[in-house]
Amino acid sequence: MLKSKTFVKKTRSGGVLKIVREHYLRDDIWCGSEVCKECKDEAPVLQEDACIESNLCSYPHYLIPDTNVVLHQLDILVDPLITNVVILQTVLQEVRHRSATVYKRIKDAIHEKDKHFYTFTNEHHRETFVEREQGESANDRNDRAIRVAAKWYTDHLAKVTDGGPLKVVLLTNDRANKEKAEQCGLTVYRCEEYIKSLIGNPELVDRLALIADQNENTGSKLLFPEHLPLSRIQTGIKNGAFLQGTFHANRDNYLEGTVFIHREGADINEVLLRGFQNLNRAVHQDVVAVELLPKEHWVAPSSFVLLDDSPNDEDAEEDETENKLKSEAPESSALKPTGRVVGVIKRNWRPFCGMLSQSQIKEATRHLFTPADRRIPRIRIETRQAANLVGQRIMVAIDGWPKNSRYPNGHFVKNLGSAGDKETETEVLLLEHDVPHQPFSQAVLSFLPKMPWIITEEELKVRADLRHLSVCSVDPPGCTDIDDALHCRELEDGNLEVGVHIADVSHFIRPGNALDQEAASRGTTVYLCGKRIDMVPELLSSNLCSLRSNVERLAFSCIWEMNHKAEIIKTRFTKSIINSKASLTYAEAQMRIDDTTMNDDITKSLRGLNKLAKILKGRRIDKGALTLSSPEVRFHIDSETHDPIDLQTKELMETNSMVEEFMLLANISVAQKIYDEFSECALLRKHPAPPPSNYDILIKAAKSRDLDIHTDSAKALADSLNNATTESFPYFNTLLRILATRCMMQAVYFCSGMDNDFHHYGLASPIYTHFTSPIRRYSDIIVHRLLAVAINADSTYPDLMDKHKQSALCSNLNYRHKMAQYAQRASVAFHTQLFFKNKGIINEEGFILFVRKNAIIILIPKFGLEGTVFFENKDKPSPHLNFDSEGPSLKVEEHTFHIFDKVKVTISLDASNLQHQRIRMSLIEPVIPGVSVPVPEPEPVAKKPRLDR
Amino acid sequence: MAAVQVSEAEKVYLMHGVRDDLRLDGRRCEDYRHMEIETDVVSNTDGSAKISLGHTDVLVGVKAEIGKPRPMVPDEGYLEFFVDCSANATPEFEGRGGEELGVELSNVLYKVFNNRHSVDLRSLCICAGENCWVLYVDVLLLQCDGNLFDAISIAIKAALFNTRIPKVRISEDEEGGKEIELSDDPYDCMRINVENVPCIVTLCKIGHRHVVDATLQEKACSVASLLISVTHKGMVTCVRKLGRGSLDPESIFEMTEAGKRVGKTLHAPLMELLQKEESLGKKRQKVGFLG
Repeated sequence: MLKSKTFVKKTRSGGVLKIVREHYLRDDIWCGSEVCKECKDEAPVLQEDACIESNLCSYPHYLIPDTNVVLHQLDILVDPLITNVVILQTVLQEVRHRSATVYKRIKDAIHEKDKHFYTFTNEHHRETFVEREQGESANDRNDRAIRVAAKWYTDHLAKVTDGGPLKVVLLTNDRANKEKAEQCGLTVYRCEEYIKSLIGNPELVDRLALIADQNENTGSKLLFPEHLPLSRIQTGIKNGAFLQGTFHANRDNYLEGTVFIHREGADINEVLLRGFQNLNRAVHQDVVAVELLPKEHWVAPSSFVLLDDSPNDEDAEEDETENKLKSEAPESSALKPTGRVVGVIKRNWRPFCGMLSQSQIKEATRHLFTPADRRIPRIRIETRQAANLVGQRIMVAIDGWPKNSRYPNGHFVKNLGSAGDKETETEVLLLEHDVPHQPFSQAVLSFLPKMPWIITEEELKVRADLRHLSVCSVDPPGCTDIDDALHCRELEDGNLEVGVHIADVSHFIRPGNALDQEAASRGTTVYLCGKRIDMVPELLSSNLCSLRSNVERLAFSCIWEMNHKAEIIKTRFTKSIINSKASLTYAEAQMRIDDTTMNDDITKSLRGLNKLAKILKGRRIDKGALTLSSPEVRFHIDSETHDPIDLQTKELMETNSMVEEFMLLANISVAQKIYDEFSECALLRKHPAPPPSNYDILIKAAKSRDLDIHTDSAKALADSLNNATTESFPYFNTLLRILATRCMMQAVYFCSGMDNDFHHYGLASPIYTHFTSPIRRYSDIIVHRLLAVAINADSTYPDLMDKHKQSALCSNLNYRHKMAQYAQRASVAFHTQLFFKNKGIINEEGFILFVRKNAIIILIPKFGLEGTVFFENKDKPSPHLNFDSEGPSLKVEEHTFHIFDKVKVTISLDASNLQHQRIRMSLIEPVIPGVSVPVPEPEPVAKKPRLDR
Repeated sequence: MAAVQVSEAEKVYLMHGVRDDLRLDGRRCEDYRHMEIETDVVSNTDGSAKISLGHTDVLVGVKAEIGKPRPMVPDEGYLEFFVDCSANATPEFEGRGGEELGVELSNVLYKVFNNRHSVDLRSLCICAGENCWVLYVDVLLLQCDGNLFDAISIAIKAALFNTRIPKVRISEDEEGGKEIELSDDPYDCMRINVENVPCIVTLCKIGHRHVVDATLQEKACSVASLLISVTHKGMVTCVRKLGRGSLDPESIFEMTEAGKRVGKTLHAPLMELLQKEESLGKKRQKVGFLG
């Protein structure tokens, strides 16, 4: 039977179009139930004994959720307990229209066999199709369609079972809909009602999303101004009254945040928000509309560290803390444009990892959840299993933030495991940093080469055969994804031939396939302590692409002819086949170079390389490349328990810089080559020069020791850093360099057609890219492809030459790199904590790295560890503090702390807050009464319990 | 146009019949042939009607689109006509064969319908000088068996009656930028007042008398005919002479009177029929083109 659906639509040009769709109704749509003999369904989905034990319905039943239940309570529906659900087509279509993510999840659930979810195409069923009536809104029609379908199911099942026990239950939260459904004799429950009645799994109740009931709580005080409707926001943005931007909460001060304005060419690109009312329920990463406050209300970013850790669950006023913020003396120069949030354009809520702070009232079901990310506010959730969740890492989703609530409302999603557990913590930090870490899908794996893999004749023909060369690789110990190898040999005319051979990953990963897309999305391999999250499947990363010794591997080689002064005479790029003769560690390579008795080809090659590298490095430093320093630590991991047992700062050897030097040279040569060939779409890497103000802290720090740092150019900075030494204080230079590192900007990838500043500040190179690590960085794969096209070794494809697509790729790569770095740091921090947990209390010397208004930040060089010593304490009267931003120095009672002062602290693990276990540092020296702590006796190392009896 | 060959003897026979107020098919001079009307036959138009008058078949579709008002009358919408002479009707229309007739027909339709006395053009205005509704009236000739004008005019009236134009609202933002907003309820629409829409009555002079709704045979016997558009009140809005021959003033007067009379009696049953059809609503069994 044919029906037509008619609707009018406005076209983009302002016209009005009547659209008529043909709609076919059929009578061969089956109900999908096992009991039904009438429907000729070959593989019925819905089970005969559809039992979810419930107080409300003791009979077997199928559930029919309405659209809002699917949209808001999906976390419940996907629970394994909930089975035998009929998803109506009407519901599916509405969900698809409203939220793509929910649609995807419900589709996944439908495909899952064990869930017994059945899609009933009621819109095409002759008996359940309803036409929109006059005066009926689209929503009302859909509700009616759902009721009609539910009614049909009820009648149909009653008929085929001859009045058997099987029934359908309609779930809806809409009061009007429920009433109407009851009138037509349907079994209908509100979602909460039904879930609470379930006997099998009381914890499901926790996952109920809290939908704000508009009528409730109107009596209580409004804490926040109302958000403006979207239409007003849009007109406001159009006429410039409001600004649109992404909200970033301040990590250290929960009452402060910044909005980064999107619009290009705007004179203001950052708006500061301060105070509870002005933040107006914006959550980190939301897209918001802000209104600028008049200039006299502008404030400067505060240097207070303020954490929201008030234990009470009440909607307490924050007067006290807010007043403290206001009392700060304003410095007119530091005033920033300040504004307030008038509306939220797009929420960017995701499920957050964190922990439960149990309510002090024993029987309470409402608890606060503290997210691991400090920029996310605490979330109020309802749970009856709080006792079980304490000490566990859980995931919580935000449902809404009513204007009369101090905290957003949310619901429990998933339990990740107990806090402090290594597995759980790793999972948390991967989730929190948005690192894709699921195993590779079948689709991705299907593009891997078939094993056993051999180099084919055709490959031999088109590639340069370099198997005879004594190539070797030098890497850190334990490295399995070797992506670079080197060689150096003397040519007949006395010149040197130096080759850098990079794994030819682009040979295996062809553009556009699932493997390529997955790698592009991951962007980089993430190295955590004791764990590696690969960008490409292991078969490639650790085997076929890894340039291991004594196997034949495909490579992309960059070969220079140099004279002994390391001047490049000729550069050649070629795809090649190599056979590495040795995989060395830095230490092994160093040993070979130093051992004068060894004179084999590899050692000679290494010596040649080392010699050239020194010249290259010298030349680079002359040009103004910076040698910066950051304290890096390495853990010795116990091979069995995987606990860190020792900590050591990474040691740099000559060979490290030897490899680095040639990698830089290769990167620069390749960058120049691809830019010459493709001036519009070369993928390059730049490092912008930092704005002069960034150096203020560095200059001040040097001044405190009567030294001048010149920051006019990279060269000047490098020179003055080299000269900045004091005899009495050997670590001073390193500290300065650490500080200088903090002044730098982030290096980023970009597409040459979209930018005109290519300079790499840190390396003092006019052009730079990444070519040498294609196994662990996607950028290098793109560079490989570009270079391959440039030398006619491979064919191109449209996306490679599209600068907009490439620009989009760059921003993903930049994001992933940043997140990978954060994840890495978080992993190190976690392992540091584990280390100190095992060590007990330690007293150590450190240096003041930064001076804040109420704290000093201390670096312990031995552990590369940074910690904060607060001078304000909630439960103690705070000492007299006097901050001088010029020094910068902080006078605590009688003692003045300057930057780089040497102090002695005691380090211990502060486990009082399970969520953020942190390293606590307390001052031992200098002794300030009331502030410093007495030297604790180092605890005797706990003896291992003996197992032998 | 499609013509039939009529012999002298046939002609005489036919003329004698007319003289005695009895035509070949048994009608009297002022009788119409059997007429069938159905509206809402084409779903993707805003209004449509199909009419069959004897063997003459005409389909009319009305589409409403937003356009700019004519500069001379900024507060009025307007109608556009297009007549497609399908080769279905007669093989002579094949290729561009029907073009000439089509242009002639649409010119007459302009004259008859596109004025404020026939259709309330003001109601088609959305925003004076800026936007108005333009009604595109497309006429498709499916079969020709004489008296095209009358059939087309009745079909147009029925189609206009059936037309539903979506209601629009003009929203103004703070800077005075205007935007057209559509209601999302498909039932929320505007109707056209067809009370004053005229019908065309074509009178063919045969011998000394004249007949309405002439068949092709009758037409072949006539030298001239008079086209009169009449409203339901009997007001004549347009008169045109068609054909090669001439008409004397007296017979023009007679024919006008007859046209008024016939026209008046045509409107009432037509409106009744349309209203009755509409009252059936969705229950109405659609006949369409297969009936």
